[in-house]
Amino acid sequence: MTGRRVYIAGAGIISPLGSGLAATTEALRRNRSAIRPLDLFKLLSGEPLPVGQVDELEERAHLPRTHCLARTASLEAMADSVLPPEAVIVGTTTGGILTTEQLLRDQEQDKNAYRYHGLATVAEYIAGEVGCSGPALVVSTACSSGAVAIGMALEMLRRGEAVTVLAGGVDSLCRLTYYGFHSLQLVDREGCRPLDRDRHGMAVAEGSAMLLLTTEKPALPLAEIMGAGLSCDAYHPAAPHPEGRGARMAMEAALADAGLSPSDIDYISLHGTGTPENDLAEARAVNALFGTPPPVSSIKGATGHSLAAAGAIEAVVATIAVSEDLLPANTGWQHPDPALDLLPLTEPVNQPTMAVLSNSFGFGGNNGCLVVTRPESFSQPPRGQSSPCLAIHGFSALTGAGSTAATLALLAQGSPIGGTVDVDSVAKQLPPRLVRRLKRLPRMTLALAVEAREAAGLAEAPDAVFMGTGWGALSETYDFLTGLNNSNEQFPSPIDFVGSVHNGPAGQVAMLMGSTGANITMSGGDYSFEQAVLAADLVATDAEKNVLVVGADEAHLPLSPLFDLSVSPDAPLAEGGGAFCLNRRKEGAACLLRLPFYRQWTTANDIELLIESLGERGPLAGKYGLILAGIPAAAKEQGEEQLAFFLRLSGLKSPVLRYREFTGEFASASAVAAVMAASFLVSGKVPGNLAGAEDILPEDGPAAILVLGLGSYITAMEFLRP
Amino acid sequence: MSKRIEELKVKIIDILNLQDVDPEHFDENERLVGGPLGIDSIDVLEMVVMVEKEYGVVINSQEVGERVFSSIASLAQYIEENASGSKS
Repeated sequence: MTGRRVYIAGAGIISPLGSGLAATTEALRRNRSAIRPLDLFKLLSGEPLPVGQVDELEERAHLPRTHCLARTASLEAMADSVLPPEAVIVGTTTGGILTTEQLLRDQEQDKNAYRYHGLATVAEYIAGEVGCSGPALVVSTACSSGAVAIGMALEMLRRGEAVTVLAGGVDSLCRLTYYGFHSLQLVDREGCRPLDRDRHGMAVAEGSAMLLLTTEKPALPLAEIMGAGLSCDAYHPAAPHPEGRGARMAMEAALADAGLSPSDIDYISLHGTGTPENDLAEARAVNALFGTPPPVSSIKGATGHSLAAAGAIEAVVATIAVSEDLLPANTGWQHPDPALDLLPLTEPVNQPTMAVLSNSFGFGGNNGCLVVTRPESFSQPPRGQSSPCLAIHGFSALTGAGSTAATLALLAQGSPIGGTVDVDSVAKQLPPRLVRRLKRLPRMTLALAVEAREAAGLAEAPDAVFMGTGWGALSETYDFLTGLNNSNEQFPSPIDFVGSVHNGPAGQVAMLMGSTGANITMSGGDYSFEQAVLAADLVATDAEKNVLVVGADEAHLPLSPLFDLSVSPDAPLAEGGGAFCLNRRKEGAACLLRLPFYRQWTTANDIELLIESLGERGPLAGKYGLILAGIPAAAKEQGEEQLAFFLRLSGLKSPVLRYREFTGEFASASAVAAVMAASFLVSGKVPGNLAGAEDILPEDGPAAILVLGLGSYITAMEFLRP
Repeated sequence: MSKRIEELKVKIIDILNLQDVDPEHFDENERLVGGPLGIDSIDVLEMVVMVEKEYGVVINSQEVGERVFSSIASLAQYIEENASGSKS
């Protein structure tokens, strides 16, 4: 069976090279660097370093720069489209941080001012601008985010879960990334010279690119996306594997996914950041895989490194390469580096180009490669049947009550489990060398992952890791910005910067467990864990491989009450999460997991769609022994209305448990609810104390538990007996 | 000099959170980076920030860094040689 072809119907781009596809193509032909000293924000000390800054951005009051960049690219990509896309997937690492940095400096206490801080708001805002009411997802895998977002869209389209998806990446310049990379001594004061013998680092940049992808062949497709490959170095939080092990695996996976061999590739758009280690590792990987590589170049000497946007921007460059037969030059390169043994294009070249490999690698060892081709130039490789359900083999929870056992024991008494986690005692179970640099979120994540894996008792280590977090590593982010401010911007902490990225915790899990497969961190506010499950279901299709899915969030003062609309400054804070060790094999599984529904809330009609999707595989009446309802405090009224309507319309009589009354308010509370559901199915008993009745025994009755997410999204996870 | 060494041990244990190391058993001549403590390039950069902040001594090249951070003793000596009078 061959799958559907995925066409690029539209592309939008804004970068330091200019705004729009035409301006970008023209700039690439001119081969000039747009890198220049930063003037976007005032520096308290030091001369401005060279950056890739966007000049022509139409900004909007109260809207962070990231959102404005993504808007510009999205509107261009959608310009010729009549219908809205069915899903939006955005890769971003900065979200509204540039705005937040200033608000924190001004000691702003009004949480409304921070409403666009969260990464999730970028995809939600774009979905609103283009009229998409389906899933709006955010991938945050550092510098590979844009490529990973496009890779996920490709999978969603191939499976027929959507016909059109708008996918790409965006990041804006901000103090966090500007000073962060400076603190790592990864910035070249003389601009950026990828692959050059004298290269000294990158230029931090900004920009956005979005692709409108579709399985319905447009009249004039720009290009086709034929393959995506994801991998993780599982080596170091910030440095690449010296031989480019993960880079090579991702390139190989992308080629295999496309059904192409290295000799089919006409051009490689390198990640090529200009840092000594990255370029060396990438050159080694390219040489090892290709032997005699096709023409290669990195455009980052012209654009700088726009982080989460880079993979998407370079997917657009690959699109230009196959649609215009234009291979861009490696701007800024002058001296061959014998250690690299890889010579880039020094001038733009016009030559027939059928297939391009585009590389993106990032912090946490997160790698994403894409294969972009001229439409229908190659035959498609056969693809397997759709995968069976995710099968849960082990799980773990961490809450204010403590570990899984302590959490479940308290729940059995009908007692709340909310509160903060004793992170010091959690860390005692972990190797001290591993955790010494880690703060709350990565420690909790590692503890969850270790316990879930042990509980599963599977021989093979997890291959892939999927993480959902609403807010990421708040401690590291806050400490970095505070240290920056308190030292008059002189002494930012490199350790805190490396730890501040959303995908840091999942990268740590990969390092501990040697998980070299896909490593994806999703951020979707109160629905982040559901997004991680969605990502796992899309990407982890290999029946033989085990994966970890984790949802976790830390409580932080002062940030949690400022950022999270459901967290009140007067109520006690709550944090924690849950983790699952999964594969696709039912044998020996504790229970099965499905995610039949994930949509933005728009109208009451969404409840009808939800009921339809739940009933797809059989009658709904009597299906669920319990409904765990997630209603964030900030959406209480709306969530209650949705729930009442759902119960009325479905006729379901199952007992309903509002789990946040027990877990407390935090973004990934649904991961704890998922653990509750799994444990109730395993024990065959829902404690009567919880459901306000006698013990429910699903054993002789319903064999499923439904975990509903309500509020600004409607989501459904089903836990079923194997 | 020995006072500087003892001071550096405490500071490094603190900023790198070396919980299982106590200053008395921290050998100033032992290999610091890539040695048994698992200190890597990110730790070196954190120490670079500390050295600049506390002693006004700038280390901004990898070559110098590799030499200076080979041990606590060599770091102490480098600070001694390069610190401005008011701060040493």
